[in-house]
Amino acid sequence: MQPTQGKIRFSTALLSVMIVSSMALTACGSGNDSSNNTSNTTTNASGNTGNSTDAANDGNTGTAAPAEKVTVEFWANKFEATTDAWFKKWVDAFNKSQDQIEVKLQIVPGDAWAQKLKAAQAADKAPDFYTMNYGGIANAAKLAQIQPLNDLIEGAKFDDLYDNIKDFVSVGDKYYAYPMLVEPSAVLYYRKDLYEAAGLDPEKPPTTWDELIENGKKLTKDGIFGLATGQTAPDLGWSSWGLQSGAAGHLALTDDWSKADIMNDGYRAVVNFYADAFKSGIMPKQALSGYPDIAPFGQGKVAQAINGSWAIGQLRNDFKNMLDKVGVAPMPSQNGDASTTTATLGGWTLVVDGKSKHPKEASAFISYLLGGETDVMIDFFKTSQFSKFSPRKSVDEAMKSDPAASQDPWRALIAEKVIPFSKAEPIYPWDVSIAVSTAIESAMKGTDPEKALQKAEKDINDFIAKSKLAGTNPKAAQ
Amino acid sequence: MFKKNYRQDNGVAYLLLAPIVILLTIFVVIPFFYSLKVSFYNWSFYQPSVFVGFDNFKFVLEDDLFLNSVWVGIKFTLMVVPASMVVSFLFANVIKGMRKGSASIVKTSIYIPTIISGIVASVIFVFIYDYMGGLANYVLSWFGSEPRAWLADVKTALPSIAVPAIWLGFGLTTLIMLAGLHDIPESYYEAADLEGAGTWQKMWYITVPLMKNIVLFLTVTGFTGAISQYELSLVMTGGGPLDTTTTPNLYILNHFRNDVMVGNSIAASLLLFVVLGSISAIIFKVLNSEKAIDG
Repeated sequence: MQPTQGKIRFSTALLSVMIVSSMALTACGSGNDSSNNTSNTTTNASGNTGNSTDAANDGNTGTAAPAEKVTVEFWANKFEATTDAWFKKWVDAFNKSQDQIEVKLQIVPGDAWAQKLKAAQAADKAPDFYTMNYGGIANAAKLAQIQPLNDLIEGAKFDDLYDNIKDFVSVGDKYYAYPMLVEPSAVLYYRKDLYEAAGLDPEKPPTTWDELIENGKKLTKDGIFGLATGQTAPDLGWSSWGLQSGAAGHLALTDDWSKADIMNDGYRAVVNFYADAFKSGIMPKQALSGYPDIAPFGQGKVAQAINGSWAIGQLRNDFKNMLDKVGVAPMPSQNGDASTTTATLGGWTLVVDGKSKHPKEASAFISYLLGGETDVMIDFFKTSQFSKFSPRKSVDEAMKSDPAASQDPWRALIAEKVIPFSKAEPIYPWDVSIAVSTAIESAMKGTDPEKALQKAEKDINDFIAKSKLAGTNPKAAQ
Repeated sequence: MFKKNYRQDNGVAYLLLAPIVILLTIFVVIPFFYSLKVSFYNWSFYQPSVFVGFDNFKFVLEDDLFLNSVWVGIKFTLMVVPASMVVSFLFANVIKGMRKGSASIVKTSIYIPTIISGIVASVIFVFIYDYMGGLANYVLSWFGSEPRAWLADVKTALPSIAVPAIWLGFGLTTLIMLAGLHDIPESYYEAADLEGAGTWQKMWYITVPLMKNIVLFLTVTGFTGAISQYELSLVMTGGGPLDTTTTPNLYILNHFRNDVMVGNSIAASLLLFVVLGSISAIIFKVLNSEKAIDG
């Protein structure tokens, strides 16, 4: 008797659980949807299919057969909301401007990018063209994952690029990508009002690492931290490239990629800088945000922050009332010499997939968007609040006549004092960068810097041996 | 007569088995053998794949990070599975003793974490562990304690991730435990009462032995569930600090995302499969499953 009762009770309970859970699931589902609206903007389909059906209808009403547009698929990483909107705006404009090519844009969040692209490649369904950062181009070209663009985009459009950028997008004598923007990875942002309150001169930002840490010590009080920068290995892996390059004069591998090149004073200095900054107590013990996000600085929790130039856009869009208190300066270097490299130039390009069936149509759109009329790109740099920089001479020329751009002091500072001394990002595998940044992080957490570097050197050399990396640098032959 | 029936039964049995066999073939068997084959190649999507023999496996086995990730997975499991078993067992006993109405309310409410996705839970716990203004450090501040870097400190990162894992899993575990408790005939307890057995004696001599199959089931599923966990560390710590929360599946995912060639991640997956299979086999061996005594 008792057990049966128990069973009945359990089954009714289970039923109620199922009902409640299904209710909660649907609630969850709608919750996800609303959150997706902000992060997931893949729902371009509505707009675009609308366009294509309109086009088809137009064709049907006429006497001619419906014009068959070639559809090319375009995947873009998810960047700031303003960039996403800019992509959508100009894709729509392009689709309406002619009746040959229909570009289908899909915006893919960064953390899903690699999985989604690899799954599509494995199924032979990779998009015709997509965004790629400078660091990925050489390897993708070596593996024939992307096509050379020399025969697809006219040479004059490449002549318009600055010489160093030409190098970023080429392997051997071929261009494999068309660049969209460059942005230095490290710039110093500091609070002028807090500088004054701490007895520091707000017009004299630090120029050496020691000054940066000393100022940080004076600024750390009342729950405000003196310094925010990358402090986890994945963030440090790329955000410290500029400092590595400036202090050591080179990056972590020898030119022929045959061995690690980090047991030197330059690399020791970089590791010690991060370890000293962390141990001096001016940085929070747990990062308040990821490196590329300057929100904690904007919210007033941090007095000095190292971040990329893109943070200007974030500050101007999201923290408007903070702007008059913010100072911007080049990232300090080890010795204080203003011409020392402290940042790498990252940035994004568009590439045509190696297996694309419509490379001509894809590159026609790339030419239109990135290499065409200067107002398309000026529109982009405006929406990004001039936190990104043009790889094209003609766009910079045209921007000189734009009052908002020419009178922007932060833009001028980065263009004149940061970009000229910035280096290209390394193209060696990420495993090498993460080995170095793991050494930095372990030194921050108390490991002896020398031992941390020795371990990194061993890890890198093991990796080189196992993956037969020596002599495979795609750019070494040049 | 017997033979004919036998054959008819067979036909129906094959028919009923067909859907699952076909589905398993498409989604499990074929991909498994395909991945076995691919694991011996430097698999590229754009160029002909190159046969490399056991290189991928050698690469993974010689990688300290892979061995470290398996060790992290085992540590994580040892934190999650015993803790959630004990908590669930206690909760199930409490619920069993409750009256009908309140029992269903409690059952429903403890089940809620189960239907929350791991990603959502991770985000909630990232807020709880936030260095400035997180709930955990706020509570610490009541006792005048310094804020702790829960997710950035090598010592606390893995336990901090184990907490949401326990929270997510214990609703389901409790309900299964409760079902097991209800399956124990009440007459055993009545007889024990007559013999004058106390609460602890009843629990130790009646409840625990009769729950053995349930515990075995929950240990094996809990173990495989916990060691294949990766979304918690992916969202909350990204595997850091210093790889102390890089579980085996996160290691595989990282390689899949970053590597130019895919063979490495496939070899690692197959090796993880071997590790999981053998540990599950050991658990089965140790906690020998038996048919319940009352049949």
